[in-house]
Amino acid sequence: MSRLRYLVRKTVWLAVTLYFVITFNFVLFHLLPGNPVRLLARSGHLTPQAVADITRVYGLNHPPPVQYLIYLRDLLHGQLGISYTYREPVSRLLGQYLGNTILLLAAATVLTIVLGVLTGVIAANRRGGGYDSATVTASVIGWSLPTFWTGLILAFLLGVWLHAFPIFGMETPNAVYTSQFQRIEDIGAHLFLPTLTLVIVNIAQFVLVARASVIEVLAEDFMLTATAKGLLPRRILWRHAVRNAMLPVVTASALLISLVVGGAIEVETVFSWPGMGLLVYNSVLNRDYPVIEAAFLVFAIVVLLVNFASDLLYQALDPRVREA
Amino acid sequence: MPAESNRREFLKRAGLLAFAAPGAAAALDACAAVATSAKRSTIRVGWAIEPDTMNPLTTYSTQAVEVLQLVYDNLIHYDLHLKPEPGLAKSWSYSADGKTITYKLRSAKWHDGQPFSSADAKFTFEVIKSKQVSQYAQWVTDLTAAEAPDATTLVLRFSRPQAFNPGLAVPILPRHIWQSMSASQIQRFPNSVPVGTGPYKFVNWKKGQSIEIARNDGWWGTRPAAQKITWILFQNEDVMAQSLRTGAVDICPEIPPTIWDGLSGAQNIKTVSLQSFSFHHIGINVSKNPNSGGNPLLKDRAIRLALSYAVDRKQLVDIALAGHGLPGSVILPAGFGAWHLDIPADKQFNANPAKAKALLDAAGYTQKNGSAVRTSRDGKPLSFRLIAIQSTSVDVAAAQIFRDACAKVGIELTLTTLDANSLGATVYNAKAPNWDIFVWGWDSGVYDPDYMLGVPLCNQIGSNNDVYYCDPHYDQLYNEQATELDHARRLALVQEAQQFYYDAAAYIIMWYQAKLQGYRTDTWTGWTPVTGGMILNFTRDNYLKVRPV
Repeated sequence: MSRLRYLVRKTVWLAVTLYFVITFNFVLFHLLPGNPVRLLARSGHLTPQAVADITRVYGLNHPPPVQYLIYLRDLLHGQLGISYTYREPVSRLLGQYLGNTILLLAAATVLTIVLGVLTGVIAANRRGGGYDSATVTASVIGWSLPTFWTGLILAFLLGVWLHAFPIFGMETPNAVYTSQFQRIEDIGAHLFLPTLTLVIVNIAQFVLVARASVIEVLAEDFMLTATAKGLLPRRILWRHAVRNAMLPVVTASALLISLVVGGAIEVETVFSWPGMGLLVYNSVLNRDYPVIEAAFLVFAIVVLLVNFASDLLYQALDPRVREA
Repeated sequence: MPAESNRREFLKRAGLLAFAAPGAAAALDACAAVATSAKRSTIRVGWAIEPDTMNPLTTYSTQAVEVLQLVYDNLIHYDLHLKPEPGLAKSWSYSADGKTITYKLRSAKWHDGQPFSSADAKFTFEVIKSKQVSQYAQWVTDLTAAEAPDATTLVLRFSRPQAFNPGLAVPILPRHIWQSMSASQIQRFPNSVPVGTGPYKFVNWKKGQSIEIARNDGWWGTRPAAQKITWILFQNEDVMAQSLRTGAVDICPEIPPTIWDGLSGAQNIKTVSLQSFSFHHIGINVSKNPNSGGNPLLKDRAIRLALSYAVDRKQLVDIALAGHGLPGSVILPAGFGAWHLDIPADKQFNANPAKAKALLDAAGYTQKNGSAVRTSRDGKPLSFRLIAIQSTSVDVAAAQIFRDACAKVGIELTLTTLDANSLGATVYNAKAPNWDIFVWGWDSGVYDPDYMLGVPLCNQIGSNNDVYYCDPHYDQLYNEQATELDHARRLALVQEAQQFYYDAAAYIIMWYQAKLQGYRTDTWTGWTPVTGGMILNFTRDNYLKVRPV
C-alpha cells in the first residue's frame, strides 16, 4: 500500500513539474530578443500584407498569452507545431535527430557506466596497488581533458593519421550496402570515435564513485562476517560489497544521462554527428520556437523519467528507502 | 570511412578495436567491404551550413538554392562567364518598349514523367506574383500578365521596362504539383521530394548529414559526367578541411581564411581565392523617424565623413580578413566588374585621420579642456554605440579596429556584440530604431546591380534598408537604371547611383571579401574559376562540366 502511495505521489510530482517546465520553456523562449517573422519574411521585397500573412500562418499575430493557450492545446493533441526553418512538422524532425542522439548516448553511457564501475570496483579491491593508482590517475586525466579538444585529437590520430576510423557523420555518404548488416557495421565504425571521446571524458566519475563506495563498504562489519562465514573473496566482493555500494552509482548514472541527453553537443560538433545538439543550436540561432520548445520538452521528460527510474531503483536496491 | 578501404587499413582498425573492446573486432570484418559508390561517379561537396528547406519558394538559404538549381531549371541560366545561356527557354526577345519579354520554350519532361509546357512557366510566375510568399516576388513587382499563347511560348508583360530578366532568377515549378496550394499551404510545404525538369533528380536529404541528387538521364541538355552529387554537412570546419585532405570530399566551397591558408600546398589539393559578390560594412543610423533612438549627431554628414576618414580599409582587410579580400568603397563589390565604380584613392573617404580631425574642427566639434572625446558646440559628446555580431569574428575584429581608429580622432565608440538575430531585430526595428552604428554585410541575391542598389531605397525602410537612408534623388537614379535596357546608359546610371550613395556616407564599406574554395585535383578535373565561386554561385555549370580524372 505504502509502495503504491509512493508511486502515486511521485507520478503527481512528475506531472506538476512537467507543466512548470512547459510553461517556463514557453516564457523563456518568447522573451528572447529577436523576431522569427523577420527570419521568415527575410526578403525585403515582400509586401507588408505578405508579412502579415506569414505572421498569421504561424500564429504569431496573437498576443503571447493566447499563443501560450494555443501551444498548450496543441500539445495536449500531440501536435508540436511546424518548424519555422525547415517548414515541416516538428515531430518528424525530432524523430530524426533524437534517434541519432539516443544511439550515440546509449552506446557511450552504457560503456562509460559498465567500464567505469568495473574499473572502480577492481581498483577498490586492490587499493594502494599499481593498478589502483594507474586507473585512478588515468581516469582523472581523462576527466580534466576538454571534450572538444579530446575529440579533435582522437580524430586526427585515429582518423586522419591512421585512417582507422571515419571522422565525420553517421554513415559513409553514398555508401551502397549489400546487406543491412553492412550498414550497421558502417554506423558502428562511425560511432567509435565519438563514443570513445565521451567515455574518456566521463569515465572518471564512475571509477571514483564506485571505488570510494566499495572501499567504504569493504570496511563495514558485515564484510568481516562474510569472510568469517568462509565465503569466497570473489563472491564477497561482487555479491555483498558491490550491491551495497551501488546507490551512489545509480545517482551518478541518473546525473550523467541528464547531462548528456541535451545532445553531447561538443562531441556532435567535432564529429558532425546529426543529433539533438546540432538541431537545438541551429534552432536557437534561427528563433525556431516550435523546435526549441519541443526539444526542451523532450529533455525535461527524459530528465524527469530518469530521476523517476532512479528513485524506483533506489527502492529495489535499498530497503531503507522503501520504509522511509 | 575512406572510400577505398584496403586490407592494411582494415587490420589497423581491427587492431585498435581489439585494444579498446576485445571481441568487437571480428564484427568489423566486413567493414572493409562496405561498397561506396566509386569516387569518380560522385561529386562530393563539403560544407558547414545546412539548407533550410527544399521548397524553392520559401527558402532563404544559399545552400538550398545550390541544390535546387540542379533539380529545377530556370528559363535562362548563367554560364561559366556569368553570361546568360538558354535554360528551359531556347531563346527570348524583348518588345520595342522593353515592357514585354517573349520566351520560346523547349520541350522537356518533369522528373515524374509529366510533360513540361508553357502552362507550367506561366503558372510559376503567377503563383509568385499572387501568393507573395517568396523572395522571388521582387522580380515580378511590375508584372501585369503572364500568357501562354501556345505550348512552347511564354509572354511576360510588365508595367515598366525590365533591365533585369526575371527568367534568370526564377526556378520553374510543375503546375500539376503546386496548383492547388494556398499561400499558407505553400508556407508549410516542405517539398520533401522536389520534382523539377533539371539535370539532376532529388534522391534524399538526411537532415544534419547529407543531401544527394542523381543524374536525370532524360534531361534536355548535354549529359553531365557525374552520376551523383552529394553535399556533406560538417559541423566543424577543421574536420571539413581534413576530409578534403584525406579525400573524403572533392570540393569545399567556403573555407575560413586560416584553414584555407593551411590547405595551400597540401598534396592533390588546389586552393582558389575568388572575388565575391559580398561586402561588409559599418552602417550608420540616419533615420529621420522622430521615434528613432539613434544619436541625432549622426545625421551630420561631417561626423559620418570623419568616421569614414578615420579608418584604414587596407588595415581592416589585412588584420580582420587576414588579407583575403579587397578594401571596400562603393556599394557594388569589385566582383561586379564594370558595374563597380572605381573611385580614385585620393577621392575616397579613407585612411586620413588628419582630414577627419580637420572636418570635425571645422564643424565645431572640439576637444574641450583636454578631453579625449570631442563635443559639439552645445556640449553633446561624440560618443556612440557600436554593435556587431558575436559569432562573425571578422566583424568583431573590424569593429575593434574601427573603435580604436575613431578614438584617435576624438570620437568614442562603445562596442557591444550580439547574436545575429538580436542584432537584426535591433537594426530592423523600423518603428523605433534605437541604435547608432553596426557592423555586418550583404551578399547579392542575383548577378545584377539591381539587388544591392535596391537596399538604400526609401520604400525598403522596414525591409532591407538597414540604415534608414532615404533620398528621392537616389530613388530616381535607381528606378532609371532598373528600367534602362541600353547597357551603356544603364552603366552610367548605376555608377552615378553608387557615387551618390557613397557621398552620403551612411555606409562605410569595409571590404569585399574573397571566396576561398579548395578542391582535389585527383578526382574531378575541369573546375573553372568564376567570379563568385566555382560552385555556390549563380552558375551551376561547373557541376555539369567537370570530368573524372
